[in-house]
Amino acid sequence: MNEPKLRELLCEVPVPGAEEAERRGLAVVAAAFAERQAAGIDGAGGRRRAARARTSPRRLALALALAALAAALILSPAGASVRHWVGDVFSENVPKARPGLGRTPGGGRLLVTSAAGPWVVQPDGSRRLLGDYEEATWSPRGLFVAAVSGRTLSAVEPDGTPHWSLTAPGRVSDPRWSPSRFRIAYRAGSQLRVAFADGSSDRAIAAGAAAVAPAWMPLGVAELAYVDRQGRLRIAESETGRGLASAAALPGIDEIEWGGRGEVLLESSPAAVRVRRLQTAKLALEVGVEPGRRLPLPAGAAVRDAALSPDGRTVAVLVSIPLASIAGGPGTRSTVLLFGPDGPSRRLLTVPGNLSELAFSPDGARLLVAWPEADEWLFLPLGRSKGEAVGNVARAFAPGERAAEFPRVEGWCCRAR
Amino acid sequence: MGAESGAIERVEWNGPIPARRERQLIREAQRGSEQALADLYSAHWRRAHRAAYLIVHDAAAAEDVAQDAFLAAIGALDRFDRRRPFGPWLHRIVANRAIDWARREALRRRVDATEESEARPPEGIGEDLMEALAELPADQRAAVVLRYLLEYSPGEIAEMLELPRGTVNSRLRRALDRLGELLEAER
Repeated sequence: MNEPKLRELLCEVPVPGAEEAERRGLAVVAAAFAERQAAGIDGAGGRRRAARARTSPRRLALALALAALAAALILSPAGASVRHWVGDVFSENVPKARPGLGRTPGGGRLLVTSAAGPWVVQPDGSRRLLGDYEEATWSPRGLFVAAVSGRTLSAVEPDGTPHWSLTAPGRVSDPRWSPSRFRIAYRAGSQLRVAFADGSSDRAIAAGAAAVAPAWMPLGVAELAYVDRQGRLRIAESETGRGLASAAALPGIDEIEWGGRGEVLLESSPAAVRVRRLQTAKLALEVGVEPGRRLPLPAGAAVRDAALSPDGRTVAVLVSIPLASIAGGPGTRSTVLLFGPDGPSRRLLTVPGNLSELAFSPDGARLLVAWPEADEWLFLPLGRSKGEAVGNVARAFAPGERAAEFPRVEGWCCRAR
Repeated sequence: MGAESGAIERVEWNGPIPARRERQLIREAQRGSEQALADLYSAHWRRAHRAAYLIVHDAAAAEDVAQDAFLAAIGALDRFDRRRPFGPWLHRIVANRAIDWARREALRRRVDATEESEARPPEGIGEDLMEALAELPADQRAAVVLRYLLEYSPGEIAEMLELPRGTVNSRLRRALDRLGELLEAER
C-alpha cells in the first residue's frame, strides 16, 4: 500500500457514533472545565477564596456534585449558552428532585434497608419498618419478605407480621426466594442452604460457597446458581445439590443474576461485567454454560453495580471513574451504561460524584439509581422521556434521628405474572 | 471566570488551527474562558477521537480515551507552556492511553481466551484497512496513526512515545510491510 492511499483511508474510515461521541465529549469536557472554575482555580493558576459560605453537609455533597452546572449557570456571564452544552450531561438527565418520598415513579413497592432495618415502601410512598433485621428480600409476588437477623431466617408479611423463623448453623446472609415461591436459598457461614418456604426441610446443598448471593433459575425450575470458594460458577439442582454445570467465574466476582427465561446469567466484579448464555431445558439433565461476553467498559472504570432487566435483554452497569487519574483533580464521575443483547452500549446518565446502586422496575421500563451524595433516588426511564427524582431519602428512613445513613435498595416488587 | 459576553458558539475548523490563534485560545482558556475551551475542543476533538479509534478499534473505548485526554489537558491547563502547540500535547496523551488500553485488552483476551470476541470490524469504507490494522500490535498501530493520520515525523513520534527514533522507524516499516501483505492477500 502506498503512503498517500494509507493517509486517505485513515481519514475516511468511519468512526461509529462519531457525532454523538463529540457531543458527549464536549459536555463532559465543559463540565470538567466548569468544575475547575468552581473549585477556585483562577486564570493565573492561584487559588481564590471559596465564594460560598459553608453549607450543610447534605447540600454540600450535592453542591460539589453539581459544581460544574452551578458554575456554568451562576458564575458565567455566558451561562445560558453554557447551560446548553453542559446540560447534555447534567440538567437533561438529572431531574429536579421532589423534596420528599411520595408516589413511587412507575409504581410498585420498594424494599429498602436502613440502619434501623428493612422497610416496605408502598406505591404512595408510605413506609413501614419490618423490624430489627439486617437484610431482606421479596417473595416472588411480594406477599412475604424473607428477613435475616444473625443466625435467624424469618418470613414476615409486608406489614411486619412474622410467620416463621428458623435458626441456621451459621450467620445467615443473602436470602433469595425462588420464583416458584416454594423455596428459599441462603448462605449460612460458608454453606449454601435451601429451605421450604414454610420454614421446613432446611438443609445444606453445598459447602464452601463464596460470599456471593445465589441466583435462582427464573422459570421456577429448582435450579440454583452460586459461586464456590474456588471461584467457580456452579449450577446445581436445589433439591439434592447435584451439580448440573460449572465454569470459571469472573475473577473477583461479587454478584450474579439469572434472568430472562433462564438463558442469561450476569456476572459482575469490581473490574468487569460478563453476560453468559445458558442452554437450559426443563427435562435436560445438564445445563450448557457458554463462555460469555465481557461488556466493554470505559478505561479505568470501577463497577459499582450491575443489574439485569426482568426480561434479560438489557444490562445496566454503573461505573465510577476517579478524575484524579485523568484530570489531575479530585472527584469522581459516575456513569450508567445500558447494554442491549448485541448492540453497543448507551449512556443513560453521567454525573460528577458517586452513584451507588441500580434496581430495575418490575416492568423493566425504569431504573432506580441511588445517589447518596445528593441524598436522592433517581427514577430514570430507559427511553427518552424525562426521569423523576426524590430527595431527602436518608431522613425518610430515619424518622426522628439527626444523623441518617443512606439506605440500600433490596428490591422493587413485583412483576405481573 | 473570564469576561466573556454573548453566546458561546462551537466553531468548526476545517484544518489545523493557526498557531497564533491557538496560543490566544490557550491563554484565554487558562483565564477561564469557556468559549476558548469550546474552540480548542472543536479544533482538536475529531482528530483525537479518530486517532484513538484507529488504535483501540473500539468505539466506546475511543470515546473514553479522547475524553480522558481532554480531561487530562484541562487538569494540566495551568501548567501548559503556551509557546508549545496544543495538538501534539493532546495527541501524545491520546496515543499513550490508547496503546495502554489496547495492550490491556489484548492481555485480557489472552487470559480469558474462551470469551467471544467483541470486536466487530466496521462495514463499508476502510473495512479491509481496519481488519488489517487489527492484526498489528498496538504500538505499531499507534505509530501508523501518528505518522499517517496526524502527520508527525518519526522524530516527533519518538519524542511523543518516548522511544528511540530508530525504533519508531522500524515499527513503521514493519507495520507498512504487514499492512501491505494483509491488504494484498485480501484482494
